[in-house]
Amino acid sequence: MSILNVNYAAILVDGLSFALPLLIIAIGGIYSERSGIVNLALEGLLGFGAFAGALFVASTVGLFATGSDLPMYLSFAFAALGGALFAVIHAVLCIKFMANQVISGVVINILSVALTGFLTSTINATFFGEASERFMLQTSPRWDIPFLMEIPIIGAAFTRVYPFMFIILIVATFFWYLLYKTKFGLRVRAAGDNPQALDAAGVNVSRVRFGAVVISGALAGIGGMSFAYSISTNFSPAIYMGYGFLAIAALIFGNWRIVPTFAACLVFGLTRSAAFQLLPVFDASAAVIDLAMTAPFVVTLLLLAFFGRSNKAPRALGELYDKSKR
Amino acid sequence: MTKNSGASPQDNQQQDHEPHDQRDPRHALNSLNKSLDKATRMVTQGLVKGFGNERWQSLTIPLLAIFLSLLTISVVILIFGNNPFDVFRGLLAGAGWWPKENYGGGQSQLTDLVGLATTLTPLLFGALGVVVALRAGLFNIGVAGQMILAAFLATVLVGYSDMTAWLARPLVFLIAIAVGALAGALIGFLKYRFNIHEVVSSIMLNNIFMLTVSYFITSSHQDPVSRNMRAASADARLLTEPVQLGEASARLPVGFLLALIMAFLLWFFLTKTKQGFEMTAVGKSPKAAQYAGIKIGRTVIVAMAISGAMGGLAGVTHYMASVPSIAPGVLPGVGFDAIAVAFLGNAHPLGAILASTLIATLVSGATYMSSIVGVRQEIAALITGMILLFTACGGYLRSWLDVKKRSLADANANTDDNATKGGDDA
Amino acid sequence: MAEQEILLEVKGVTKRFPGIVACDDVSLDIRKGEIYALLGENGAGKSTLASMIFGLYQPDEGQIFMRGKEAQIDSPNEAVALDIGMVHQHFKLISNYTVTQNIILGDEPKKRALGIFPYVDIKNAEKRIEELSKEYGLEVDPSAVISDLGVSVQQRVEILKMLYRDAELLIFDEPTAMLTPQEIESLLQIIKNLRDQGKTVIFITHKLDEVMEVCDRCAILVRGKLVDVSETKNTSPAELAAKMVGRDINFSAKRPTKAIGKTVLEVQDLRVEDSSGFPKVNDVSFEIRAGEIFAIAGVSGSGQTELADAVAGLTKVKKGSIRLNDCDLAKLNVRKRCESGIAYIPEDRQSVGLVLDFSLDQNLALKSYYQAPFCTSSLLNPTAFAERAEKLIEDFDIRCARGCKTTTREMSGGNQQKAIVGREIDQDADLLIFVQPTRGLDIGAIMAIRERILDERDKGKAILLISLELDEVMDLADTIGVMYAGQMLKVAPASTLTTNKVGEYMMGVTEND
Repeated sequence: MSILNVNYAAILVDGLSFALPLLIIAIGGIYSERSGIVNLALEGLLGFGAFAGALFVASTVGLFATGSDLPMYLSFAFAALGGALFAVIHAVLCIKFMANQVISGVVINILSVALTGFLTSTINATFFGEASERFMLQTSPRWDIPFLMEIPIIGAAFTRVYPFMFIILIVATFFWYLLYKTKFGLRVRAAGDNPQALDAAGVNVSRVRFGAVVISGALAGIGGMSFAYSISTNFSPAIYMGYGFLAIAALIFGNWRIVPTFAACLVFGLTRSAAFQLLPVFDASAAVIDLAMTAPFVVTLLLLAFFGRSNKAPRALGELYDKSKR
Repeated sequence: MTKNSGASPQDNQQQDHEPHDQRDPRHALNSLNKSLDKATRMVTQGLVKGFGNERWQSLTIPLLAIFLSLLTISVVILIFGNNPFDVFRGLLAGAGWWPKENYGGGQSQLTDLVGLATTLTPLLFGALGVVVALRAGLFNIGVAGQMILAAFLATVLVGYSDMTAWLARPLVFLIAIAVGALAGALIGFLKYRFNIHEVVSSIMLNNIFMLTVSYFITSSHQDPVSRNMRAASADARLLTEPVQLGEASARLPVGFLLALIMAFLLWFFLTKTKQGFEMTAVGKSPKAAQYAGIKIGRTVIVAMAISGAMGGLAGVTHYMASVPSIAPGVLPGVGFDAIAVAFLGNAHPLGAILASTLIATLVSGATYMSSIVGVRQEIAALITGMILLFTACGGYLRSWLDVKKRSLADANANTDDNATKGGDDA
Repeated sequence: MAEQEILLEVKGVTKRFPGIVACDDVSLDIRKGEIYALLGENGAGKSTLASMIFGLYQPDEGQIFMRGKEAQIDSPNEAVALDIGMVHQHFKLISNYTVTQNIILGDEPKKRALGIFPYVDIKNAEKRIEELSKEYGLEVDPSAVISDLGVSVQQRVEILKMLYRDAELLIFDEPTAMLTPQEIESLLQIIKNLRDQGKTVIFITHKLDEVMEVCDRCAILVRGKLVDVSETKNTSPAELAAKMVGRDINFSAKRPTKAIGKTVLEVQDLRVEDSSGFPKVNDVSFEIRAGEIFAIAGVSGSGQTELADAVAGLTKVKKGSIRLNDCDLAKLNVRKRCESGIAYIPEDRQSVGLVLDFSLDQNLALKSYYQAPFCTSSLLNPTAFAERAEKLIEDFDIRCARGCKTTTREMSGGNQQKAIVGREIDQDADLLIFVQPTRGLDIGAIMAIRERILDERDKGKAILLISLELDEVMDLADTIGVMYAGQMLKVAPASTLTTNKVGEYMMGVTEND
């Protein structure tokens, strides 16, 4: 196989189908961290979101007409809900109980793996009568976008796309607008820079931060559900692949801003899909896939090493805000 | 619990009084408020009495967390229609703390306990790694990666050779320490030199190590039957020849004593030596440490090297003793359970011994419990998660108790003599 | 004087903090359209009282009436709803937001795009702010980012914040503490303007001349108690001062300088840059001799802290030389510099000067833990730690609840600072650097620390004192250096400079010579 035969369209589409879920998770992280709450819990949140969405699909089998795409769309709503609910734990621990935010994040991750693992197999055994540790999903449809796909070179990005890519683009745009244009966004960003000032302006800092953390859960849930559809078409504990942490790396690299973070996600996504697609060119054995999979992680480390230094975290990130202490 | 016992007599009393106050509902409300206040105060006093002693808090608060999580889990178990006590007894029996109904050939409660020690060893090493890093203000979640890398190299370099046991086993330990220390130091270096947060870099390195090791396993060291890495030779493995224990016999874990000794050594190192002092200072306040003339970079890298060395030891005692060999494509759960152990043990090397015993009990008792009670064995992980969740609230409880204790003391003393405090630093 | 409408009335208000009664049964009334001073020493309870009026604290006893109605002010929100505004001593501004964003935060004007999507209407807000700033003579660019603005402009933003919310009662908490004399002058003018436009002002200060200049009436607080309220026109500074018991008014009578000896510290053409290459300290040269206090005056952020850090070895030097007792320090790290004779009391006592979670004895040995007797062949000696700590606790009157095992986090700011000063003086170094040594402390601690500084000078030490408080500089210095925007604008004997002159240099004004 030569380099000419590489499926460049697949690199683009696969890259995007990885980059976009990563982006929406990272936006979730941006919300939390811009409000001043460190969020290492993204991994756990995306997993629990995907679990909630998949549980909805598994438990409504038969309620919808076969071949209907409706359960798929609804599963994203439930994933967002599940992620948001699980994020409440992080919010309560960090805001109400003043827990160390890093520790809380790790706790959420461990709890999420344990809880979804336990619930998936127990629910499968108890309610569906099968011994399985996964919820099956239907295969996501893939669309070819008329007209756009005709454009040379980038047109390839518009063939065989997942519907979730559009869901994510719409949701991401909305949350970009919310963060930078609205009252709520102004307050979120203020909470992460100088909570005392926000408090003095008569805004309840805890409430703003709570909202931001819950949003981060919802967005991570949507990202998790997307991965469940694109990578495995099922929910199993294998969803915990470290992508939540990759999203954190992306948002740090993107300097806690949405648009540069999108660029970072694209770099990861395209590196990953390119590594996959280029493997056959070098006539490599199947084992090499493991090596190829290291690409996004290596790239992340290198990028952070060379460009991460100048990045500035929100000033009050990780700072407990205790109203009684001024 | 305390809350109920404190509140109910008050409530009863309240109901007795109510008829007299009926004409004036405001009065009734007032007295209800008052008795509620009184009840709350009693609960507060009870909690302060029970958990307010700072000397014992590092013990009492984790115990409270464990109790609360078992309570929560019991509810979950009840929901799924099982008896929580059966589950807990099953876990204890599986780990060897409780006699089983019957034992298979060559097995006894004692062999179960040996099995527990085998499971505990890597967990304790891993936790010690996390603890050392935490003391220096670093969060090493890269234990899993350090484990896999160290175990892989020790297996390839020593496990596939025909060295005798007395040469092979020390070598395995040395390789584990060296490889782990390098992998850990790399995280410290990235943090110091490039300002990459250790959590991010250790996650990246976990995946890089795991995938690279997987590549080498699948391409050249795979066992055709198990699909795992080919196991190391018996002489290199960290289990002794079978030893007769009464009726039964078991292979003893070689690293167990070493792990216990290491816990004490690290405790001594962290609290009694100059380097330990420096590490703690850097962990508590890097700026102040720098001001005091401590070399931050060196301290961070050394702390991570020690942490990584512990991770390496956890790797070989896991993959070359408690499980047969490395499974490609999977990070060891022990590496993450170790974090739970470290927090539960209050980031203290000796606390880690107690905490690892608890978590190891859950891990090694789960299979047996599942087989006799029928509750999925994932419940063990869930218990761990819940314990951690409640432990994370421990800091809040601690400061809450502190505030309450002071206000109680203030109310009791009711003096305002020392006017030196407060007022400044507004 | 004719009865005027009472805007705010405070009745029997008491506030206790653990170990102290910050406000003790205080009653006062504030008339509409007056400037009312709350005068008192640090720790007298002025800020606590104001904080209760603004809803930051709730009184333990007593009531507050606004426009004759009892007001339950549980939060700043409720205060704002009652048209009360406050400029805090430490500004509450978001550094990476614009002036407009800061002002509207919490009360954002909304507009809808396409009739659906709400967004914050920055444009209109900017217009409104421009109008306000014209109306009250508060010059400021609404689209400037806060971090680019100087202290006095930031203060104007804080004032605009109150005006934007239509505040009627404006509280200023020590507004002149960080300003130069010239900036103070213009601030006082602004405050007078505000009164003339019908606003009511509560002015918290400990400076008598400011009270005399602008205030109509003045209440004096001493240790939480209200001792007197008087019309300023019927009183004199001397009378007010007498009522502020506890202040040693004669402090400014300087101790005479003893013998000044040889040069200890010599800084030449020093340049320090921040991470983006911007010069924070720009070609600064000066020298300090034994037995001399060299004080650096300057507004916040003029490069003083960076200069101190550079001498102590905490910051990289781009260019120039630092010599201590004729030895070049360039190659020496922080520890070596300590050992060669530099003691350093840093600006940020809580996060730099101490490891807050360490016990007092550990903190008192923070600079010497690695030497005998604290440490022999890598093993620490707890007895040595305790012994040294006991000695310093005694010598420096450090108060701590549980002796040398007290965690420093639990100690009050004054005692934390005494611990740092004690540790550094105990090093017997030739050069002592004090940065903002008395900031935020109560009067007792301030006096104790100033005495120590003078004692050390009289022992023949060279002292570099950096303070934002001009009074402190004027009171203590033998030689004054004024820094402005990273440059040493002027170095002269203290006796040849007046407060006003120093103030001019602090603003970057140089004579035409």
